[in-house]
Amino acid sequence: MSEAIRGFMGAREIWQVPLAASVVAGLLLGLLGVFVVLRRTVFVSAALTQISTAGLVATLLVEERVHIETEHAWEQLAVAMTCSVVGALVLGPFRSRRLPTEAGVGASWVIGSALVVLGASRLVHAAHDLGGLVFGNAVAVPASDLWVIVAVALLGVAALGVFAKELLFCSFDPETAQALGMPVRLWDALLFLVIGLAIPASARALGALPTFAFLTLPAAAALLLRLRLRTAFSVAAAIGVVAAGGGYVISWIAEIPTGATMVAVAALFLLPGAVIRGGR
Amino acid sequence: MSALVSLRGAAVGYHGLALLSGVELEVAEGDFLALVGPNGGGKTTLMRTLLGALPLVAGRLEHPRPLRIGYVPQRDHVDTIWPLTAEEVALMGRFPALGPGRRSGAADREAVRGALERVGVAHLSGRRYGELSGGQRQRTLIARALAADPELLALDEPTNGMDPAAELATMDVLRTLHGGGRRAIVMASHRIEAVANSARSIAFVDKDRALFRIGSRDEMVREDALSELYGRPVVVLRDENGRRSVYPAEREAQP
Repeated sequence: MSEAIRGFMGAREIWQVPLAASVVAGLLLGLLGVFVVLRRTVFVSAALTQISTAGLVATLLVEERVHIETEHAWEQLAVAMTCSVVGALVLGPFRSRRLPTEAGVGASWVIGSALVVLGASRLVHAAHDLGGLVFGNAVAVPASDLWVIVAVALLGVAALGVFAKELLFCSFDPETAQALGMPVRLWDALLFLVIGLAIPASARALGALPTFAFLTLPAAAALLLRLRLRTAFSVAAAIGVVAAGGGYVISWIAEIPTGATMVAVAALFLLPGAVIRGGR
Repeated sequence: MSALVSLRGAAVGYHGLALLSGVELEVAEGDFLALVGPNGGGKTTLMRTLLGALPLVAGRLEHPRPLRIGYVPQRDHVDTIWPLTAEEVALMGRFPALGPGRRSGAADREAVRGALERVGVAHLSGRRYGELSGGQRQRTLIARALAADPELLALDEPTNGMDPAAELATMDVLRTLHGGGRRAIVMASHRIEAVANSARSIAFVDKDRALFRIGSRDEMVREDALSELYGRPVVVLRDENGRRSVYPAEREAQP
């Protein structure tokens, strides 16, 4: 084990950027997850990860089939972010008088998933990258992706910090906020814009599945502890950081899949709240 | 008394579709207006249109000057899963006036404490909102509305789902808040009994029968008017203090 740790420390050049990207993504998703869970929009984030991945697969298909150059990470990320942000702005505030909200979200998730599968089946050269895109392959994250995640995290933390009371009121009781003249749609749009940007940016480092998990598990773990809301935000962010960082290190040393390890570590944080409070 | 807000020749509804037309309505300083009708009859739509939260389908919404509004939604519309204390919920009443990006300060917290005291839940300020009883949550939501020192307090079914004691206690709070006559109250309720002794004026609202009728309490809490609203005979009794009780009468057996 000590040899594995020495090996890990000796490979700093390789892991320092991916680890930093994972930790920043864990912090951002942990924070946003509190809103996602309390607004009961967990499956909106699941649908967005699929839509974002579908956008990514589309860029790879365009590269291979139409021979339009999209190999550059920025182009792939731009397409994934566009898909995710559009999806977030539509699905986030989605209300239909003819359909339950879950139906629209479920339809988006399943259509996004089907597009990923269909697109992946037509990929030849990039097929081997797809596992990393979906399940996470944080071993190889370029520095440019780190800066994208840092920029989105700064934007997200600033939005959540500066407009905390507006986002809180419009999330907790949109009916009253609107009756009192607050532009609820605008604040909803800001929140889902940040979520829409955070998902593809984080998925580059963590993968789609861990991104969805980090929007759910840290917040759920913090809320199970029955903390005050402000404390729950801090604890969820801390769990995101520890689970992402810890999961990365463990996966490296144990030579097991990185994304799944991060999710497993995040899931462990559910235990204290579930055990102490009996899950109530 | 000058009008705080009024609807003139209004049609109210959603997405350009009128649910209720021909609405003439005025709320003056010190009014206590009750909107009464069946569930799903358009009371909430009318009230939210009056507050400017929903666009008019037709007609005019007039208010001579900007208005400080307090709004109390139906208790069941507010999610109890959020880990917020009663004080934190009540503080939200101050947010619209603060403006974007500005934080609440000592004056806001002082106003919230005063509002919680006025409705008798100051001792619960540190308790989680979701752990309060229905009546306590209702009072917290009223405190939130009061925290903005509103000129017009609008309440949507504030006594819905309450036992008689809690309903009477809530109406006592509203009567006290209205007592000075400085604040106007608009309250939607499907129960005429809840407002028959509190409201100064009453509007019957039922979109399914295209019914909108407004008048003073004495004009509206009458057997003929209520029988028209409910579509069956109704008895109105008055006790020695003049308090009204409303009962459905037995229909006469058909020969």
